[in-house]
Amino acid sequence: MESPFARWRVLSDAAARKKYEAYVKEADANIGAFLEFDAGRPEGRPGGCLEGVPFAVKDIIAVKGFHLTCGSKILQNLVSPYTATAVEKLAAEGGIVVGKTNMDEFGMGSSTDNSALGKTNNPWDGRRVSGGSSGGSAAAVAAGMVPFALGSDTGGSVRQPAAFCGVYGLKPTYGAVSRYGLVAYASSLDVVGVCACSVGIARDVFELMRGQDEKDQSSLDPGPDAPGPDAKVIGVLGGDLGLDPAVERAYRAAIGFYKSKGFELKEITLAMAEYYVPVYYTIATAEASANLARYTGIRYGYRPACAENPEELTRRARSEGFGDEVKLRILLGTYVLRSGFQDQYYQRAQRLRQAIRADFDNAFTRADVILTPVFPTQAFLRGQGGLDQFQQKLADRFTTAANLAGLPAFSFPAAVEDGLPVGMQFLAPAFGEARLFEVVRLYEENFPRPLPPRYKPEWS
Amino acid sequence: MDVSELKVTADLANIELGEEEFASLGREVEKMLDYFSKMMETDGMSLPSGPGRRAANRTRPDAVSGDADPDSLLENAPELEDRFIVIPNVL
Repeated sequence: MESPFARWRVLSDAAARKKYEAYVKEADANIGAFLEFDAGRPEGRPGGCLEGVPFAVKDIIAVKGFHLTCGSKILQNLVSPYTATAVEKLAAEGGIVVGKTNMDEFGMGSSTDNSALGKTNNPWDGRRVSGGSSGGSAAAVAAGMVPFALGSDTGGSVRQPAAFCGVYGLKPTYGAVSRYGLVAYASSLDVVGVCACSVGIARDVFELMRGQDEKDQSSLDPGPDAPGPDAKVIGVLGGDLGLDPAVERAYRAAIGFYKSKGFELKEITLAMAEYYVPVYYTIATAEASANLARYTGIRYGYRPACAENPEELTRRARSEGFGDEVKLRILLGTYVLRSGFQDQYYQRAQRLRQAIRADFDNAFTRADVILTPVFPTQAFLRGQGGLDQFQQKLADRFTTAANLAGLPAFSFPAAVEDGLPVGMQFLAPAFGEARLFEVVRLYEENFPRPLPPRYKPEWS
Repeated sequence: MDVSELKVTADLANIELGEEEFASLGREVEKMLDYFSKMMETDGMSLPSGPGRRAANRTRPDAVSGDADPDSLLENAPELEDRFIVIPNVL
């Protein structure tokens, strides 16, 4: 079988490279997916399966010699002295990092508009957001600038922008891919994931990246009881899900498709669903407040013009260097961990998280995979007619569950409604990625990825 | 959350808030805490608090590994004097 990367060896000779660079330059002038782009870096290992293939990396994952800004003013000038394990593994197969993609500051947001360093427009409609926080990665793939781009997913940050831009988005099982070189946001939730232009590419990239890494003590290989690839019973959500009509139509259509293919569709109840978002934001902000305490302005990062003493320097660096959403989450996280409030918020959230895991363990005794929407809306507009920061958080109710329970989830472009893509996702038991790829591949065979009208390079 | 609690929290977080920021972020924090009170509906504290992870902890030897080269780390320091990072007076 032909490699899914065959058409993408656009860096294999000088003429192809020139054509490729010209395309990206023109396309990205309208989109703004990249914070840094350089297709002229030394080529990877010859003979690897990714030889001559470009890929992009979210600017929260370290690549030696590229910046590592996390979309923040506080790290704007930081150049990474090392490379993340996930990137090393792809480079070892010949893959070439061509740039770093835009994102919500430290991964905190659903639009990429929380980036301090640039705006990323949705390739389907430039007035709309690309989603977030891995918005640059999803937009770069959708517009045919790269076949795949790495992202990070703490509460939906790969899957939601993938859905908004009409590409595939994998959030692997917690621990399946090494996080060495991923800047920490919420350590019990963070995973390295991938946005890709096809199921085959998402699968191959995941297979190359996965595996226990001695540099990440939380990484692990699947055990002998890892779930097999076959799925017969699909769990679906009943009741009023509060979806926009276009998303509701796409969800019903996807359910109808799988029914027509002979799957058993079973309505399941996830009793804990209404607690996903409050539990998620309690735990994520608590962990963020601890992880982001390292930005002091002393050893690296933004330093204020003047300070009388080291304490003042740190306070000013943080106050001037962090954006509003990051400050909000640090304050919230600090509060829920404070002595006297911990039992009420953080400890309670941890216990509820256990109940959420148990809820999924139970659900997977009745279904092999679970099909849900990714987000209740399609890519939203900026400003009026869009969603404010609070509404965006409430809308994380379908994505955060996979992070809280540590499960793999795979979002796919299910339909185009009103000129914009709609994404759905499958969830599987831990280490059930193969099952996700199989079930979505069937959909892709019948409904290949839709391409945004203006961005169709010959290789995409 | 009253104003003094927000002040204490901001101090603990090492963040200085201007007057306007204090008001706007204060409102946002309040809104989220209101929303978190949804968790109080449950008898959450009677739930088990078992380990979050199913795998055992794994440790590594406490030894220097070759990855981070000290000089390239120093290149990111805002201000250097020889191989020392310059900061304001401590005393």
